[in-house]
Amino acid sequence: MDKEAAFVFSPEQLNYKFSDEHPFNQKRLLITYDLLKHLNAIDDNQIIPAKMAAEEDLRLIHEKDYIDVVKNAGNGKVRSSYATTYGIGTEDTPVFPKMHEAASWLVGGTLTAVDLVFEHGYKHALNLGGGLHHGFRSKASGFCVYNDSSIAIQYIRNKYHAKVLYVDTDAHHGDGVQWAFYNDPNVCTLSFHEDGRFLFPGTGHVSERGHGDGYGYSFNMPFEAFTEDVSFLSAYKKIFREVVAYFRPDVILTQNGADAHYYDPLTHLCATMNIYNEIPQLAHELAHEYCDGRWIAVGGGGYDIWRVVPRAWAMIWLHMTGQESLISGKLPAAWTKKWREAAETALPPEWFDKPDIYPDIPRKNDINKKNERTAAKALKPILERKNSTDN
Amino acid sequence: MIIQSIMKRKVITATRKTMIKEALNIMEQNRIRHLPVVNDKNEIIGILSDRDLRDASPSVFGGNNEEVLAKPVGDIMITDVITALPIDFVDEAANVMTENQISCLPVEEDGKLVGIITEKDLLDTFVKLTGVDIPSSRLEVEVANKSGMLSEVAWVVKQYQINIQSVFIYPSEDHAKKILVFRLQSMDIRSLVSTLKDKEYTILWPKDLE
Repeated sequence: MDKEAAFVFSPEQLNYKFSDEHPFNQKRLLITYDLLKHLNAIDDNQIIPAKMAAEEDLRLIHEKDYIDVVKNAGNGKVRSSYATTYGIGTEDTPVFPKMHEAASWLVGGTLTAVDLVFEHGYKHALNLGGGLHHGFRSKASGFCVYNDSSIAIQYIRNKYHAKVLYVDTDAHHGDGVQWAFYNDPNVCTLSFHEDGRFLFPGTGHVSERGHGDGYGYSFNMPFEAFTEDVSFLSAYKKIFREVVAYFRPDVILTQNGADAHYYDPLTHLCATMNIYNEIPQLAHELAHEYCDGRWIAVGGGGYDIWRVVPRAWAMIWLHMTGQESLISGKLPAAWTKKWREAAETALPPEWFDKPDIYPDIPRKNDINKKNERTAAKALKPILERKNSTDN
Repeated sequence: MIIQSIMKRKVITATRKTMIKEALNIMEQNRIRHLPVVNDKNEIIGILSDRDLRDASPSVFGGNNEEVLAKPVGDIMITDVITALPIDFVDEAANVMTENQISCLPVEEDGKLVGIITEKDLLDTFVKLTGVDIPSSRLEVEVANKSGMLSEVAWVVKQYQINIQSVFIYPSEDHAKKILVFRLQSMDIRSLVSTLKDKEYTILWPKDLE
């Protein structure tokens, strides 16, 4: 069978659930998978089960005392100090039963994706259950307990010695992954996000470029609030292309948070489905151009689980498998019908949004100008180096 | 916050007899722009900035390079050094630096050099104080300029058990108002914001498109 792409998924990944009211809702995985089924875009033999990450895998990034705390909390042994010291039991990451196991399944999915690409001959692998980029070494943050991407990157470094380019298009800065590899010149992190002046976690300034040996291997593109498609995509394409050419990775890991959309309730960007079509398209192209196809994609944020996430994440798979011709016109009526009752909002009829889903942006020109300047700043070290070698 | 808690204690120094050439090297190697000059009792007798050195360095248009570079720094150092004390407030030090248009203050205690503080240390401190080095969300509320408002808003935040990382109070253009800027340790402050709106507070951030 053709080993172009694998879709990593296990029902255990749905157990990562803080509460019924919590915005992080893994039902997204089911709704997306069901959309792909309705499109006849996924075969059962392309679906590879995830696994539960072993504790030694978690230890690649996380401290033992933190893992013990997550285990205790998930087994009903909670202490009040956990919230302040470890971020466990806060409003953002409340305690839920078996949280260690549930979080380990998300990590295991991303590790499975890595092995499929490095050992089993797949070009690409997608684990939509991963992308928990805010997890720190010994602290939960921003809905994230264990940081699957950081763990996967360290795992790639140790086991396959490959140079990793991490590209994060979640509306929130990919802080956990950035700080985990801030000193490492073999891991380059590139995050596109809403500026920290406007949105959690506050970091991701263009001047965060790495430290020590890792200096020059951390890139950030913070967007102004209310940024729209054209400005977003112009920065994304330019910076991604420059960074991949400069770093020459062996593998690309993309984090595909789908919360930069206008509909997303937690953020203040004004993107539409155009960006979610073009983000994986370029990742796919560059993975073939620079990495012999090696591309691992994970999910991430995305809090409009009906109108945004299923379309955005289905697009990743469709690009990954060369079925992008399916991304046009209407969504399958049977899918819309199936979920109509359950959805809290009217489901979108088509793949792409109408241009009038949001009002005119008052400071539009200023926003575009500012983003252009920020993009130029982000690339400054690369462009200066290029100019000096050209001369 | 006082200088003692943010100053660098390891200070790279020169003596009166250090050659200009050597001073240039020291600054380049340590990537610093100021060099306090001390005597054998570690008392501050002067300071050199990279600009003073550049002014004294031989020009590309000629002159006797080696002769200038071999001069002692004592010949060109600034001797009326403005210093700070370890117990000075950080904001006071920032004020002194702005007023005198200087970008570094040696710190002295009993006449001896004990530390140094630069523009960058102040900026780092500012970043820490505004709370951006810890994952947090921004909340901006405009309130009446009268007593008790901070406590009222903070009380609402407390109901949500969200930890406040920092608070700034700015004047508003409208003198009857003040602006409270919080950094809150939570990724999802929607519910808090809607409660504040219900209580008829003016929320300046987060803001929806009109």
